Amino acid sequence: MKYGTKRGETEMVAKPKVAITWLGGCGGCDEAVVDLNEALLDVTNAVDVIFWPVALDFKYHHLEKMADGDIVLSIINGNVRNSEQEEVAKLLRKKSKLVLSFGACACFGGTPGMANFRTKDDIFNWVYRDAPTVVNPQGNYPQVKTKVDGKELTLPAFYEQVFALNQIIDVDYYLPGCPPPPDLIANAVTAVLEGKLPPKGSTLAPHKALCDSCKRNKTKPQRIAIKELKRIHEIEASPDTCFLAQGVLCLGMATRDGCGAVCIETNIPCRGCFGPVEGVKDAGAKTIAALASMLDVQNDDEMKKAMDSIDDLAGYLYRFSLPTSSLKKRRT
Amino acid sequence: MSDFEPKLVCFSCRFGWGYLGDQHALSAQIKNWIPIICSGKVDATHVLDAFKHGADGVLILGCPAGECHYQDGNAESKKRILLLQKLLDACGIDPSRVRMEMSLDPEGKKIPGLVKNMSDTIKKLGPVKMV
Ligand code: SF4
Ligand code: SF4
Ligand code: SF4
Repeated sequence: MKYGTKRGETEMVAKPKVAITWLGGCGGCDEAVVDLNEALLDVTNAVDVIFWPVALDFKYHHLEKMADGDIVLSIINGNVRNSEQEEVAKLLRKKSKLVLSFGACACFGGTPGMANFRTKDDIFNWVYRDAPTVVNPQGNYPQVKTKVDGKELTLPAFYEQVFALNQIIDVDYYLPGCPPPPDLIANAVTAVLEGKLPPKGSTLAPHKALCDSCKRNKTKPQRIAIKELKRIHEIEASPDTCFLAQGVLCLGMATRDGCGAVCIETNIPCRGCFGPVEGVKDAGAKTIAALASMLDVQNDDEMKKAMDSIDDLAGYLYRFSLPTSSLKKRRT
Repeated sequence: MSDFEPKLVCFSCRFGWGYLGDQHALSAQIKNWIPIICSGKVDATHVLDAFKHGADGVLILGCPAGECHYQDGNAESKKRILLLQKLLDACGIDPSRVRMEMSLDPEGKKIPGLVKNMSDTIKKLGPVKMV
């Protein structure tokens, strides 16, 4: 399977159609595509971008009119939290040969997936009633349907929880990261255009853990002994030593490699935006075993002290992946 | 809620629990009893998998502090359970649904009672909601 032509080649066939969209995301993933810079020109030369809400004025009904499978590749970022996002995801799935789940939000729920630590009611009550900046004496809450001047206005329905893209539609490939880095984006798009794709369901990033490629790995002691965890702003962090050796929780051991250790390079520990390593479903649960072995405590008091030094463990371990973890969300 | 019978999974270390008892008789009394070699084998993933497959509680029976055959498997397991309880709590699952008992009982006579005890506590909590 070969799609499209290389830059400069004569075009004998129509360019392959590509759609890019955002669902429950921040726009950073769209920005990451723009950040391909000159490489983007190569891509746009080789494909026809037929839908990209951030950059182009196309409407949903343009998509609806297309034949099923007409789009070669849909690059979808963001998670699914409302009925509009679900509709768009399903529409693109129907019209596309391949769907690439792009970025941490689409792959695992991402940072907005942490909303699953609260119920929908909690969120609505805080945002529309209890937050100190809210004045809402009539107790208005968003409604799916509202009558205004005899006309019906509609809003997408807000779901009980955040879903990752593959919990809503079938996904062909995954590209994690918050956002994914330019080299992996370019590799993914080239792989599609050249028809050199790994088996369906693959993540288009290395299989190993970030620690494997981290320059600081050689400074990691054989046995890490942490009495109390420190947060990065609480210490004067060395720029060369493994964070774990400095008592700072770095998730590199349970996180997929591929980002180029960009956080580590700026002296920030890994928070896990590339998701779990190959074959692991729940990075948080895996990290628990590693973290437990690093806690150097001899009795209940010391353990309590160590536990108290960890601010919001669940939020730390599931910062990017709560919706796809075993626990998924808060029970009411 | 009254006819709710909690499903409990009980992992127990073979070195400390029930190794002198009649295994068949004990198995008949203790549903979902999983004797293992060292309580340190129990990982957070196993406990979460148990919940995912419908368990309402998980009981882990390890050897007393300082008496692990493999140096500190029981202490490791204890630390993991305490950390895991934080995750469960954040997701609205009562932390008392995972319990670790560190003691010795070669005959295994105490196990059915411990399971019953925990079942009674969990009965009051109701089933874990599947999501
Ligand atoms: S993965 Fe990160 S950059 Fe992409 S949409 Fe989500 S929050 Fe934004
Ligand atoms: S734990 Fe963090 S700092 Fe240490 S080697 Fe792994 S990625 Fe690097
Ligand atoms: S270091 Fe970790 S959090 Fe930072 S970009 Fe890499 S995978 Fe993501």
